[in-house]
Amino acid sequence: MTRTVSRDDPRVLLESPATIYDAIPPYPPRSEREAEFYALRDGEMLVNLGPQHPSTHGVLRVVLKIDGEQVVDLDPVLGYLHRGIEKLAENADYHQAICYTDPLEYVSSLFNELAPVMAFEKLVEIEVPRRAEYIRILSCELLRIASHGLFTGWLALDLGGYAPILYGFIERDEIVEMLAALTGQRMLFNYMRIGGVNGDLNHEFMSRLGEWMSRAAREIAANQTLLNENEIFVRRTRGLGVIDRETALRLCLTGPALRATGVPYDIRRAHPYSVYPELEFDIPTRDEGDSYARYLLRLDEVKQSLRIIDQCLEQMPDGPCMAKIPRLIRPRPGRAFAAIESPRGQYACYAISDGTDQPFRFRIHDPSFVNLQSVGVLVPGNLIADTMAIMASLDPIMGGVDK
Amino acid sequence: MSRIPGLGIARGMALTLRRLFQPKVTVQYPEERYPVSPRHRGRLQLLYDEFGALKCETCFQCAQACPIECIDMGGTDTKDRFHVHWGPPEQYAERRSESALRRSGRPVPDPAYTAFEPVDLAPLEAILAAEDYDPRRMPAILERTQAAYGHLPVATLKHISHSTGAWYAEIYGTASSCEHLRFEAPTTRAIGLCRCAACTLAGGGRLRAALEAAGGTELPGTTPDGALTLAAVDCHGASPGDPYVTVDGVPQRGLSPEKLAELATAIRAATARPGRA
Amino acid sequence: MSVVARSWGHLTPAGKVVVPLLGIVLALGLVAFLGIVTGILPAIGDTVVLTGRRNVGIVRFLVAATAALLASVPIAFINIYLEMKLLAWIALRRGPNRVGPFGTLQSVAHGFKVLAKEDFTPTGADRAVFTIAPVVTFLSVVLAFMVVPFAPGIVGVDMNIAVLFFFAIGGLTVVGLLAGGWASFNKYSLLGGLRSAAQIISYEIPLTLSVVGVVMLAGTMSLHGIVEAQAGHFWNWFVFQQPLGFLVFFLAGTAEGNRTPFDLTEADSEIVAGFATEYSGMRYGFFYFAEYVNLFILSAVTAILFFGGWSAPVEIHQLAAWLGVAVPSFAIDPSQLGIGLLFLLALGPALGTVLCAIPVALLRTDWSLRRALAVGFVLFNVVAGGLVIAWAYLASEVVAGLFWFLGKTFFFVFVFVWMRATLPRVRIDQLMGFAWKWLLPASLFNIFATAAAIVLVNR
Repeated sequence: MTRTVSRDDPRVLLESPATIYDAIPPYPPRSEREAEFYALRDGEMLVNLGPQHPSTHGVLRVVLKIDGEQVVDLDPVLGYLHRGIEKLAENADYHQAICYTDPLEYVSSLFNELAPVMAFEKLVEIEVPRRAEYIRILSCELLRIASHGLFTGWLALDLGGYAPILYGFIERDEIVEMLAALTGQRMLFNYMRIGGVNGDLNHEFMSRLGEWMSRAAREIAANQTLLNENEIFVRRTRGLGVIDRETALRLCLTGPALRATGVPYDIRRAHPYSVYPELEFDIPTRDEGDSYARYLLRLDEVKQSLRIIDQCLEQMPDGPCMAKIPRLIRPRPGRAFAAIESPRGQYACYAISDGTDQPFRFRIHDPSFVNLQSVGVLVPGNLIADTMAIMASLDPIMGGVDK
Repeated sequence: MSRIPGLGIARGMALTLRRLFQPKVTVQYPEERYPVSPRHRGRLQLLYDEFGALKCETCFQCAQACPIECIDMGGTDTKDRFHVHWGPPEQYAERRSESALRRSGRPVPDPAYTAFEPVDLAPLEAILAAEDYDPRRMPAILERTQAAYGHLPVATLKHISHSTGAWYAEIYGTASSCEHLRFEAPTTRAIGLCRCAACTLAGGGRLRAALEAAGGTELPGTTPDGALTLAAVDCHGASPGDPYVTVDGVPQRGLSPEKLAELATAIRAATARPGRA
Repeated sequence: MSVVARSWGHLTPAGKVVVPLLGIVLALGLVAFLGIVTGILPAIGDTVVLTGRRNVGIVRFLVAATAALLASVPIAFINIYLEMKLLAWIALRRGPNRVGPFGTLQSVAHGFKVLAKEDFTPTGADRAVFTIAPVVTFLSVVLAFMVVPFAPGIVGVDMNIAVLFFFAIGGLTVVGLLAGGWASFNKYSLLGGLRSAAQIISYEIPLTLSVVGVVMLAGTMSLHGIVEAQAGHFWNWFVFQQPLGFLVFFLAGTAEGNRTPFDLTEADSEIVAGFATEYSGMRYGFFYFAEYVNLFILSAVTAILFFGGWSAPVEIHQLAAWLGVAVPSFAIDPSQLGIGLLFLLALGPALGTVLCAIPVALLRTDWSLRRALAVGFVLFNVVAGGLVIAWAYLASEVVAGLFWFLGKTFFFVFVFVWMRATLPRVRIDQLMGFAWKWLLPASLFNIFATAAAIVLVNR
């Protein structure tokens, strides 16, 4: 057996300057799969895609085994953005734990707060005022539109398009400024509270929202003409990364990636929470299961979100936006689970209380992580350029994947 | 895709051409500023009330509640007499790690991050070569290393990690979960006896005989199990009329030979380790 | 000696430049004085002039090559600025607006930045090839620049096979890209270099074949001759006789110039920066100068081959004749004015400024007189400049030609930038399939149709 040395051993540089360029890990293979992956046949080559690469959506590292331009196999390496958020949250009291979850999926922070807040409310057994529930849904759906707008831009950017990402950011910026008027922050809102929300609707938010809603549908539709029927875009995404229904269910995909295969599974309807049972909206599905279907599905979801926002504004009840809860929460020992539909799929939180003021266990189920595992099925056999299109169409956010 | 080839592209091109002439959205930062919402929570400043007085009452609640302890407060009390302060005064990085340890609620031994003594790695190389540098034979490697060095010095663990490719954390975890593997040399306790004329005349000879019998070795020496060292110390005339005896450097008074022998036997029984023959 | 050394040490950095220059100027002056006094220098001068007259072709080539080298840099700067600004406007941003008026010096600042950056050679790179690759790319582009006619007579070398030369030299670019990608010792660079080889070689064929129709119609391979064949009104332009040829040429040229949607060699979302991944400093700058000069040349050749080069869309004299308007004769020789020219030069600006300031002061009574005068001065300059340009346009066909040529060229630069802002990138297999399955048959069909048309018309 050959002797391998660690990469941080200074002798490596002195003895063999070429070895530092290898994507092969410095330790012997630790599983059959690793041994098979890192054994190269003739003409094959390993390429490190990431962690610093223009199109890995953060710090995902994918080791691609390529034969010419074709990807033969791939090995995703996670953990570059691991911050130990779950463990940090276990060492903070219930109110403080919420603000740790914000930077998980950082383009849709409100969803990251909503799931733990709902879990904690189940632990404490308190009733949330209906106005607070409506405000939560309203702000979450706004952020869903912003997140999908960014997704469109990212997908186009990974395909080489230049304008959509900037139009997506303009769209997102308007929503985020609007939410900043409501919550006080632009990105990590920290708005949800156990028993309600941090602040009531105010004039600035409502006037911005009204002004935006009057032109939102038109502008979003206008921006979509860049890609929707663009021959280059359609040819590059249609029939790419096709995943069938059985495989999607077997891989536990959720969210648009699952609905694009024709399964109408949406937590908002399947396990309704908050005030969704009182709202009218459809669950769009598509049957193709390819990247283009995932793209179009998100555009349909944006339309449904606009519908939900309209209804929220119409049905917004009066009343307090925060329940009376103590400053220090000590729930009875027990466990709680809450799942919501984030822009990427099922986002869930599981918390165990041991009777103290800190959660004994706090776990997050993140849709990006679960959806990302399908790249192992989807990518091999495609070209390098399609790797990006497939990964972008799954819309993973590395903050959530690495926690 | 539309029926007419190129129509989709043309529509996109028309959109971008229209955008070319639309008003621009960039905010030229130092000259123009975006209006900040009154509810904005990101201000790093203390607020004043309408009478011009500081709203902050120095109640420290914010500093206490801050989850990452980045708030460090100092000020005078309400009658302007005492300086009050919240938060440790160290640099931020130190405070953070200190805080992490405190929050975890348990001592965190991490020899990985302390400087370690270099050791002679030749015996270890022999062991590794015999075990084929195979990380799957880690327990055997670790046991033989301990047999060679008496314990597992950090330097050997690092070397094993480099040579086998196993992560240091894995090796450390393996070793720390085995009862018989130890990271430090077994603690040796020492009993000292002064051999000056005054102490010998005051009864030191009998003590020495009892001690050597209990320890099974000459006075300057270590017991065969390595648990107890018998050391020659100097009383410097500190204990007139009583033989000078120290246990781990602490002077003892009024020990009879029997008591001393009992003490030595007890120490040997307590500190002897199964790993060492 | 120590005195000199100590004085040298006391000099400021500027002084260290100025003092030697002064010395050199003094020495040259002395030599010139002695040479003229003794009559040696005039004799040498005569010889030089005679030699130049005998070898006028070589002298002209050297001057043209120097001019092409020098002109390529500002042209690249202008293209980079245009691209930055237009991309920004399309993305609803403002674009560069800090360095220089309207940010026009931004690309110059970028040039200085690139010049001042560390020139880094990665470990394991093939140093010689790594160093020479950007130079090859840049030089091949500048060589192609030599045959581009800007206006009647304004051309580096008027070859009778300029079209052939242009494509032959244009194909050399790929050598530099491939060498750079190979020598970088980086997998992304290697992929980018191989992609560029595959792409540019594939697109050379339809690119060259699409021009055959134009050459057949014009009957010459000289770019000068092709432009003259399209003289007259805009319906003489070859784009109307060769629409398919133009389409193929434009698409293949986009790929040849590595522009979106065919910019696979430096596809930033796939292979980081392709062949340029490991380049930094001025070597990177050479690649990018080459790319933007190439963009200009592609636009220029498109304008020349299909849009009549420097010829105006409508002959202004004929237009005036149709409209029944007499074109004012601007064939004024300024020297005929005699002493009047002196008065014009002395008093014209002052009088013009006052004349332009009067309406401004009357319209904006809230402005101070000084401000009105300042605005009047600017107005006068605009008016006078416009008049001078109009005079030059009508009087000199070189100025008119340059105007139309640069206008058409920068229109195509704009189209390239516009496409880059809008379109996503195609995949490598689609790219190759497009070249071989669509563009090549289309260009062959174009040749056949053109030949048939020529035969039919001439019979």
